[in-house]
Amino acid sequence: MAKILMKGNEALSEAAIRAGLKAFYGYPITPQNEVPAYMAEHLPLRGGVYLQAESEVSAINMVYGAAGAGVRVMTSSSSPGISLKQEGISYIAAAQLPCVIVNVVRNGPGLGGIQPAQGDYFQAVKGGGHGDYRLIVLAPGNVQEMADLTTLGFDLADKWRNPVMILSDGILGQMMEPVVFSEDGAVSEVDKPWATNGAAGRERNIVNSLDIIPDKAEKNMLRLLEKYDQIKAEEVRWQEHNTEDADVILVGYGTSARVARSAMELARKEGLKVGLFRPITLWPFPEQRLAELAKAGRSFLAVEMSAGQMIEDVRLAVNGVSPVHLSNRLGGMVPTPEDVLEKVREILEGRVS
Amino acid sequence: MPRGQVIVNQELCKECSLCVVACPHGVLAIGKAINKKGYHPVEAVAPEKCTGCTMCAVMCPDVVLTIKRKSPERK
Repeated sequence: MAKILMKGNEALSEAAIRAGLKAFYGYPITPQNEVPAYMAEHLPLRGGVYLQAESEVSAINMVYGAAGAGVRVMTSSSSPGISLKQEGISYIAAAQLPCVIVNVVRNGPGLGGIQPAQGDYFQAVKGGGHGDYRLIVLAPGNVQEMADLTTLGFDLADKWRNPVMILSDGILGQMMEPVVFSEDGAVSEVDKPWATNGAAGRERNIVNSLDIIPDKAEKNMLRLLEKYDQIKAEEVRWQEHNTEDADVILVGYGTSARVARSAMELARKEGLKVGLFRPITLWPFPEQRLAELAKAGRSFLAVEMSAGQMIEDVRLAVNGVSPVHLSNRLGGMVPTPEDVLEKVREILEGRVS
Repeated sequence: MPRGQVIVNQELCKECSLCVVACPHGVLAIGKAINKKGYHPVEAVAPEKCTGCTMCAVMCPDVVLTIKRKSPERK
């Protein structure tokens, strides 16, 4: 199929509809408005339900209901709206229901602004809502991946009966790039014998997250943790460039990875041995591969549009074997390749502790 | 008299600044107004310098800009 020029938010929406999306519930917020706008225009004509809820809290609970009924369902928002959805996300994770939640991150905390940032990393990968649960978190790095990882997100959600978050940002959502959709049109539907979709002729299914008997609740938790361990073993994804001989490995995801890649190319032109490691799954984090790459004489530089969040996972993975530094911008500002390159020079010349 | 005139469709602008960089004469800058999405749309801050070259409109990914050319020989 031919390349189409699309905004990231639109590419993600089109991919979701092609993945067999049956219901979208959302509430407007910049910079993700193109998602509900696209859904409102296209989803009803292609066999789905589009509904603008009265609030984010309402939207996520509609997702909870539709996911329980076993249909492919999605919601999208941006940072403050995702905060409002956290209670529902925790319930959905506890009830082990598949859905896709899109966060086109803007700068925070609080109402913040509408410019791109990555400050929701902790919220996405460490919990966000209450209790011991995990989301599978996918971090697209371009408009094509906004589409491809959305498709993958629905498959992973169904495969693991777990909510999946697409952690994008205000640049990836708004920027336009060529995108290609596969022509086969096949939707990978899985059997959902647990769904509450009418109990005629069978025992009724119950979707619930209430667990008041402690020893039973603990057993359920252990089953959940076993699932998370399996996801960690099977679903880690990342990309690396020029890491073999690198003295400094830049680590970044999403928009930061694009900036880091340009910085790496500038550095290589100067003869500096710089590589790039780009996590695609933020949970599960590619900690094992980072641990393998860690060695004496090699440094890591986390490139973020947050105050030093992902760097904590890099440090846990590297476990003290190599030094880990930070290059970041905040408040909706985007780092430049030159900023990152300067930090690389500081590291190589021993000007940082 | 400027040879061109930039017309901004404010609601489509996402404040990406690509046109500001693309304009060879410094005609455009991010403005102070706020559109419905919350972005500050671009403004022609030096309209007298516009030559109607359309570089800004060609660069804009969101078809925000329309350029009117004023000199007949450049049609």
